[in-house]
Amino acid sequence: MANERLRALEEVEKEIAMTLQCAGNIVLELSKDKHNASFLDRQLLQFQTSVNRVESELSGQIRYLTQVATGQPHEGSTYSARKDCQMALNRAEYAKVKLGELGRTCEVMLEQQQQQQPL
Amino acid sequence: MASQRVLPQSKETLLQNYNKRLKDDIKSILDNFTEIIKTAKIEEETQVSRPTQAEQDHYEMHVRAANIVRAGESLMKLVSDLKQFLILNDFPSVNDAISLQNQQLRSLQDECDKKLTALRDEIAIDLYELEEEYYSSSYSLWDTSDVPLCEAFRRPDTWTSPDSSCSSPSEEREEVDGAPDSNPQHQLNGHSTASEKP
Repeated sequence: MANERLRALEEVEKEIAMTLQCAGNIVLELSKDKHNASFLDRQLLQFQTSVNRVESELSGQIRYLTQVATGQPHEGSTYSARKDCQMALNRAEYAKVKLGELGRTCEVMLEQQQQQQPL
Repeated sequence: MASQRVLPQSKETLLQNYNKRLKDDIKSILDNFTEIIKTAKIEEETQVSRPTQAEQDHYEMHVRAANIVRAGESLMKLVSDLKQFLILNDFPSVNDAISLQNQQLRSLQDECDKKLTALRDEIAIDLYELEEEYYSSSYSLWDTSDVPLCEAFRRPDTWTSPDSSCSSPSEEREEVDGAPDSNPQHQLNGHSTASEKP
């Protein structure tokens, strides 16, 4: 849910850039001797759509925040679950180390046996 | 429709400020753009000479274009402030993110512990067989009075309940360790509970 709102705000940023781009295209087209009317109409429509979309989206976000914000700091945390998970991973790592030691001990014993056998 | 919350003055002021900035910036963009288009219109000559009028129009367009760009940048800043405010104060989404993260961490922990438990069970089975092999061979150092775990398992009189033949070696070890006074004459697995040592 948080990601959707943040993505919506990123889309708004793109819309703002689009608005300025359209305004620049319109002025550029007007500066020419012969204007392309259809191009001007399209750019103008896009400019108006972008401005309205930016305004409505940002108003909606501000309205949502007015309803949701409490003014208090959030005191939630994932610390306990993260610590438990870290302990579980430590247990697994410790078991791995101990099994490694056991394996090396067995290999040493086997090598000693193989060395003694030819004699 | 949710009723208006009673926010602290700073938060409410901040949100009102955001609204005002939004309205002002949008109005600035629209007004300045409209004036640029109006200025681009070719008009009849006035008392002011043509080069002067052109210079004036050029300067006005330059300023209005700069105003549009400034308003656009102000809107970008507003979006950035809103993102920050959202991350800090949008409690429903923060709660969702925390619960999702907790769920993922707990599932990882459960999976880890499950695998460790399965490993422990497998190793216990192998250990039982290895002990059986070791203590029945001539290499072991235990006394004849010592009872290895596999032998203790086979002797029904060693246990309080003779029918417990299906228990796992780890459970048997725990049961034996937990009841040292049941058979004081027998020592298990070479670990002497009496003062004598091999």
